[in-house]
Amino acid sequence: MKQSVMSADGPPQRAIDMSGQAMPNRSPRVQQSIHGAGEKRRAPSLGHLEAVAEDESTTVTHEALETESPVVEIDNFSLYYGAKQALFNVSMNVPHGKVTSMVGPSGCGKSTLLRSVNRLNDLIDHVRTEGSMRYGGMDIYSRNINVIELRKSLGMVFQKPNPFPMSIFENVVYPLRIDGEKRKNVLMEVCERSLRGAALWDEVKDRLHESALGMSGGQQQRLCIARAVAASPDVLLMDEPCSALDPIATAKIEDLIQELKGEYTILIVTHNMQQAARTTDYTAFMYLGRLIEYGPTLDMFTKPRCRQTEDYMTGRFG
Amino acid sequence: MASSTLRNPRRSSRPLYQKYLRFSNGLFMGLCVASTLLILAILAMVMLYLLSRGFTHISLDFFTKVEIAEGMAGSPGGMSHALVGTGILIGLASVVGIPLGMLAGIYLSEYSSNSWLGAPTRFIADVLSGVPSIVVGILGYELIVVPVGNANGYAGALALAFIMIPIVARTTEEMVRLVPNSYREASIALGATKARTILRVVLPTASGSIITGIMLAVARVAGETAPLLFTAGASRFMTFDPQQPFPSLTVAIFLFSTGPFKDQQQLAWAGILILIGLIFLLNLVVRLTVHRVQSRRFAGA
Amino acid sequence: MAGLARIGAISVILMLVALLAVLTTAAWPSIQAYGTSFLFSSDWRPNELNVPMKDGDGHVIIEDGEVVMETIPPSFGALPVIYGTAVSSVLALVFAVPLSFGTALFLVRLCPKKLIGSVSFLIEFLAAIPSIAFGMWGLFVLSPLLQNYIEPGLRSALSWIPGVNGWLFEETVKRGSKVVTSEVPLTGSDLFTGGLVLAIMILPIITAISRDVLRNVPRAQIEGTLALGATWWQSSWEMLRYSRSALFGAVMLGLARASGETMAITMVIGNNNQIKPSLFAPAQTMSSLLANEFAEASTEIHRSSLCEVALILLLMSLIFNVVARWLVVGKGARTSAAA
Repeated sequence: MKQSVMSADGPPQRAIDMSGQAMPNRSPRVQQSIHGAGEKRRAPSLGHLEAVAEDESTTVTHEALETESPVVEIDNFSLYYGAKQALFNVSMNVPHGKVTSMVGPSGCGKSTLLRSVNRLNDLIDHVRTEGSMRYGGMDIYSRNINVIELRKSLGMVFQKPNPFPMSIFENVVYPLRIDGEKRKNVLMEVCERSLRGAALWDEVKDRLHESALGMSGGQQQRLCIARAVAASPDVLLMDEPCSALDPIATAKIEDLIQELKGEYTILIVTHNMQQAARTTDYTAFMYLGRLIEYGPTLDMFTKPRCRQTEDYMTGRFG
Repeated sequence: MASSTLRNPRRSSRPLYQKYLRFSNGLFMGLCVASTLLILAILAMVMLYLLSRGFTHISLDFFTKVEIAEGMAGSPGGMSHALVGTGILIGLASVVGIPLGMLAGIYLSEYSSNSWLGAPTRFIADVLSGVPSIVVGILGYELIVVPVGNANGYAGALALAFIMIPIVARTTEEMVRLVPNSYREASIALGATKARTILRVVLPTASGSIITGIMLAVARVAGETAPLLFTAGASRFMTFDPQQPFPSLTVAIFLFSTGPFKDQQQLAWAGILILIGLIFLLNLVVRLTVHRVQSRRFAGA
Repeated sequence: MAGLARIGAISVILMLVALLAVLTTAAWPSIQAYGTSFLFSSDWRPNELNVPMKDGDGHVIIEDGEVVMETIPPSFGALPVIYGTAVSSVLALVFAVPLSFGTALFLVRLCPKKLIGSVSFLIEFLAAIPSIAFGMWGLFVLSPLLQNYIEPGLRSALSWIPGVNGWLFEETVKRGSKVVTSEVPLTGSDLFTGGLVLAIMILPIITAISRDVLRNVPRAQIEGTLALGATWWQSSWEMLRYSRSALFGAVMLGLARASGETMAITMVIGNNNQIKPSLFAPAQTMSSLLANEFAEASTEIHRSSLCEVALILLLMSLIFNVVARWLVVGKGARTSAAA
């Protein structure tokens, strides 16, 4: 099955036949066949960046990923803030049901990439994208996609916990509220399940109707995870979810990620190499707006194929 | 554990509700745009009407003649006395209000850091700028007009000064605060006293923005009517003696427009045009000069 | 320098003290004479009345062929003006608050960057137009418009609703022992017009403050709602909810301004010291009462009563301002300039 896909801004790209792969069984919105990563284009000249990025403008993707079925496919994706280019031809597939981390030094574009997946960058003026990004076979940046529905399938957890100024209960059921759910028993059921899912139920079950702002930072972050889970997304996007937390709270979140694994596809941006090593299946290393290397976490740490990856993993820069 | 039964009561999506969401979203977005347009339309309506009536009735006489009573030759005359009167009232008010207001502002910014006086002064200045101006007029009446025995220009000027002081104080404070501390430290390090530092370094640095703040205060009091009604009173004559009842543009406009005579009402339209023109100019100058610092400040009347 | 500056600061405090002290002193005779009944009496009669004296059976007493007259002293009650102020201000809020919030949301979330500056400038220029100009516009444009078109239109559109006709368009008057129901004459100089003019005058201040408040809603909150799939309006609603106390402060500042506004309201409200349920009946506010009567008050008690009205007005505006500033403080709005 060959098919040509028109990306949002770029030229039509030839899709590689991947029909041999199994469809992800928990992507109800998948309507088309899954397209794998397209051809890698050579990046345009980068001026001063060239020296550090060398001429390796293509991503090294480990073969292990080919056996995974992708949920989100990023294909030659570039992003510009006005005239400044923040992402350069990133191509990666986020495997279904696995935890994938994105690591790299500050400003390497990993958060930008994450926020591109649920189109939160739309809020910023003068943002322009090239290439394509697909979720369940649909082009995320196509004109006729329903962004609202897209975001409902892609839950997001932010760097700093951002509970809304309402009760714990109302926070958790907010995704249902905005869908007009009014049945008390449904709300209560989802609230309990989501809080249990976020390992928070026992701590807060007696004060569900107190303000969420009175919780500790770690609890707030788990509440935000519960809130994202309550929306029953396919994918959880996590933007450095532990960077504002103390080590104990961080450990709890990491345990939680382990438990959520399999249930959800998780794409997590992290600064913390140990965290990536402990919790994730795959790791993508980004540097200066490019995806340098992408492979199983263990391989990335023990036998990286790029010098830049090795330098970063061993702490030589970053 | 999150179980897979969790997904999802709402995933069995409710198309009707989705429609409702899309509808309400569009509706409220539209309402936000509409309310902005409505406010701008109201502004345009008010301004265009006032301007067109004003331009129709403005004439050279307006600036050169004083009011001539109805029925006399040359009626209705002009409003030169009121223009001069407003000018003098603002001048007198500034003589009192600007120095006091600036001193209070300097105190708030430079001296109040470890004094109990700072916070209440700042708070009271804020609250005072919200006091209904007619109440200020009554204060002026009780304090000055009653002891003197007649309405007079000084009372009017003081009432206006009363309104200016809190505005000038708070603007001065904010502007002076914007002067970088390094300037003060540099001056003190050179052996200057604090007073000298303020006078020679801080105030000159902030002078531009303080002047614009003062212009806003002037724009505000130029449009005030209520505090003048019982203090300066009204006069039909050109007068330079503030011990007498004193004419002002706003009070004259009020009396003319609520009076029975058509030609006096026409003078009032012309008066409004001049008044709004003056206030618009002051605001425009302020906006152009301090665009970066305080572009959103306005003097309300 | 320190001493001089301190004098400046102290004079600001003295100004407030002077306001309170002078007004209280001037109002003292009235406070003593009427006490709290001043607040609850609707009888505002500056002149004494001569009426025929009646006996216990209600018959006029006649002595030596002449009707015996008695003198009823003047009496002062502030209820009608308190009512007028309250109703006109609340009406103004009803008109102004939705428009202001809508415009603030537009400026914060929808307006193209290039236009924000000019739109803000125009809206705030509305705040710089002097009260007297709105008064003239209200008197010569809005009032005839309402009288001739809008109010009759509203009457034919609304009077079929049960209760509305009796409330808005009819009044009952006692004539002797009979109660007569008559139509409210639509004059265009009434509470409704007053509320409209006040609404226009408080639009800019509420818009400006709520815009600043909404602009300061943390990005994380907005993104949090959007990432969960909220629509534009749903996330805007959360922004409004998030800053509700500061927005309430903005409304309070608008209320403070509306209730103290004098010239414009004096020119359009009809200046009739009465309490009528109809919004289309002329009324009087505290400030318009002062503007109308203070200069002509000839008796000590009349002036003192007016000063008491001024004192009530002052205290009311102080309370509104204090509450509003307390609510808005730290929410990034520049209240001192906007007031």
